[in-house]
Amino acid sequence: MTNRAKTPKIEVVLGVLATVLTLATLVAVGAQFREPAMFATLPIVGAFFVAMVMGEIFRVTLPGSRHTAPMATAAALAFAMTVNSGHGASAGYEGPLVVAVTAVAMAFGLIPNVIRGRPVRLPDLVNRLIGIAVAALLFRGLPISNGRTVLDLQASWRPYILALVMVVVSAIALTVEVSLMAAVRAARSHAPLLRTFRDEWRAAFGLSTALSATGALVALAERPMGLVAIPLFLVPLFLTQFAVRRQSAIRRTYRQTIRTLSRLTELGGYTEVGHASRVAALSMSMGHELGMSEREMLDLEYAALLHDIGQVSLTEPIPGGATVLAAPADQRRIAHDGAEIVRQTGVLENVAVILEAQTTPYRQVREFGEILPLSSRIIKVCNAYDDLTGNNSGRGGRDAAIERIHLGLGYEYDPRVVDALVRALARTDQ
Amino acid sequence: MGVLPYAVTTYIGAVILLAVVLAALGWRMHPLNRDDIVPLVVLCVMGVLSESVRGSDVGPRTHLSFTSIVSLSSVALIGPFGAAVVGAVPHLLGFNKDRAQVRVFNCAMNSAHSAIAGFVYLRIGGLQVVGPDSGPQELLLRVGLPLMVADVALCLSNALILSGIVRLTQGTPIRRFVLGMLGTSGLAYIGYGLIGFLFVILWVPAGVGPFSAVLILAPLFAARWAFVQYGDEQRAHERTLRALVAAVETKDLYTRGHSERVALLCDLMAGSLSLSHQDTEALRFAGMLHDIGKLAIPTRVLRKAHGLSGAELASMATHPARGVEMVRDIEFLKGSIQAILYHHERMDGRGYPTGLSGEQIPLFARIIAVADAFDSLATSSSHRDAHTVEEAVAELRRRAGTQLDPAIVAALERALVRHVWQPTRLEPELMATAGRAFDHDDPAASDLMASPAHLESSTSGEATSELASAEASSEPATPDPALPEPNGANPFWAKETAP
Repeated sequence: MTNRAKTPKIEVVLGVLATVLTLATLVAVGAQFREPAMFATLPIVGAFFVAMVMGEIFRVTLPGSRHTAPMATAAALAFAMTVNSGHGASAGYEGPLVVAVTAVAMAFGLIPNVIRGRPVRLPDLVNRLIGIAVAALLFRGLPISNGRTVLDLQASWRPYILALVMVVVSAIALTVEVSLMAAVRAARSHAPLLRTFRDEWRAAFGLSTALSATGALVALAERPMGLVAIPLFLVPLFLTQFAVRRQSAIRRTYRQTIRTLSRLTELGGYTEVGHASRVAALSMSMGHELGMSEREMLDLEYAALLHDIGQVSLTEPIPGGATVLAAPADQRRIAHDGAEIVRQTGVLENVAVILEAQTTPYRQVREFGEILPLSSRIIKVCNAYDDLTGNNSGRGGRDAAIERIHLGLGYEYDPRVVDALVRALARTDQ
Repeated sequence: MGVLPYAVTTYIGAVILLAVVLAALGWRMHPLNRDDIVPLVVLCVMGVLSESVRGSDVGPRTHLSFTSIVSLSSVALIGPFGAAVVGAVPHLLGFNKDRAQVRVFNCAMNSAHSAIAGFVYLRIGGLQVVGPDSGPQELLLRVGLPLMVADVALCLSNALILSGIVRLTQGTPIRRFVLGMLGTSGLAYIGYGLIGFLFVILWVPAGVGPFSAVLILAPLFAARWAFVQYGDEQRAHERTLRALVAAVETKDLYTRGHSERVALLCDLMAGSLSLSHQDTEALRFAGMLHDIGKLAIPTRVLRKAHGLSGAELASMATHPARGVEMVRDIEFLKGSIQAILYHHERMDGRGYPTGLSGEQIPLFARIIAVADAFDSLATSSSHRDAHTVEEAVAELRRRAGTQLDPAIVAALERALVRHVWQPTRLEPELMATAGRAFDHDDPAASDLMASPAHLESSTSGEATSELASAEASSEPATPDPALPEPNGANPFWAKETAP
């Protein structure tokens, strides 16, 4: 559950930064083009522009709904690092031009996506632009030795040294982008920064490796091959992009399937309609509150969706499907059956472990030192809350449910988790 | 696995001989010199790397063979002999735990087809030493184009040599194997050729040298990693779906495992109907989920052995539609929805839910109908033992044209020739606890529900008596001569009554 109402401060800051960057570089470029020599760069600029717009149109969604455009990023990195080839087209442009052209290409690439009604996430674009600006600055703007930039120095380097430097520059640029993404995400989901950063890297690592290599690849190949290099050397990355797309598609499918299967108990009349998905949504926002990592959150989500699956082993449904009202022994049996069913899949062991312990009272932890997964404790509280509010989801029902949960605080429920519930509920009010 | 058959050994020997001869010819045509040593070593390392990741599963229908890229790069960089060496080395080191014979054969085969690609490349004017000063046009025409032709040669010789050994060991006809292989990995080979070309350009004309290997391999390994993840998730997804569907089936004890068996039968029939991979997938999922709607039918009705009232039969008949309701939102099941909805339609138009007939019924639905009826017959139930496969098929054949599609029944027969099917006999204890139940998949039930009179006369009780009679007459333990025999058009019931 994300809050649309309030844009986190960091997004505003980054947005302003990117806007200023774009406008300033556009003005600088305008001034540069007073010199006729700049027009010799137009073939290269044009070719990269087209590649970036195309790449922007065919973007990719990484697992965890991260939008990115690998081809566009690789083209922009290569654009920032291309050196004079001596094959006609000149690469005698400076850093500001790279930033300005990238920004304009992003805007152009947006148009088809907006027309097709696809969601547009400005923070993703803004962070990407800042990353590219870092690459352009490092390669073309920053004086590193006697006032000379990498671009000035590279003529005397051996090609493989240049290649290495290009990979490093790309890697730094992408690190900046990923870090900013993590900051934005952390601000949105109220999760700890370090953990978000780790999640972000885990999701982006494979693609980023491919990207930094491809940026260098295109920039280097431009020398012997000319402009043909741009489409040609993006081909390996196209394969990567295709694979990543398949990967996130199957993730989505998996989730959809679990969601649908979680409704089977509802359709069979075992549980109340919408119970599983409400428990899942609430568990997720509590997981955020408690600073869980993305992997843990995925298991939590699946476990929350499937927490009542054990009920299919009952001959007759419990009235209203509310397990909180069932006898403790029955609750445990349902939990156990559910865990067994999920264990049968052979691939959801983590989820099974969570389900197994979902009814264990918190005092077992305190009194017997039993290890109880945090996810199980969350689901226990969420399930109780949803069963207790029942049809009365207004303020009154909510307060009554919280009050009853408070009665079991420390004995039945983990106080830390109940606090998270209260916080998560308060946040949805805002 | 002991001694290989004589013919196989001879074939492997011939391939080894071919590889040695080609390598020798390659050396005569273009011996290695000192400058070739670094590329040779780097390419061998790349080959070993590619080989060490080969075989780990990257999901169905996804072939990623970096070995071909390495072979093609060596063709242009160090010539046929070098290519032959680079082709052989990874298999000699034996990263995979293949048997010795397999390893030797792969080694010889890769060496041979790399050398062949090398000869083709030189023959059509590919440049052996790519100068650092060549322009784009020269690179495209004298390196890129010949490399693509060499690529085709590589692909073809690979398919041919491999088809020989497959013919000898598994009996697959050469023609079918070659065409199949070209169909599945032909397109990928174009990509290999292109990437090999990029590698060569980066190495010599761009002057990057051995470091090119890192730049080229990074996106490829990233792609591979994503494909492996994809494969894992896909398998996990299918297993999850299967296990959870099985769990839901516990509600109805007699149908335990039924969905899975129907899915398997669908898979087999898809083979004999030569459906595409995608269609097979959709069909299998439809088979797995065809009865999911039964979850919405009250347990009381499902567990009722006989005496289902017309209203209860009518409620039973809603399960296809209820099933579709449940899975409608799952994107990847879009191709399976129709099949789930219409799997109880009959060729004569007397099925449910809409009474489609003949070709109007979607193909997948007709396939599931056959699988469904077959599995029902070949499974024991409360009122009779499981039929043998022959009896079940004979019964299906009798029903071809009225209830079932004759072409599909024939497809099932073809599939059953190739695969052994064991009828499912439920354990007596299970049957005792389960009590008696109405099997809606039994062809006799289809007949019963096909008669509109029965569904309409929900209060008159006629339907009830007929079903009860069918059940009773098929159960040797409780013969009830007072009840009328089921109608003569359905002799199998009568036959089954004989103990």
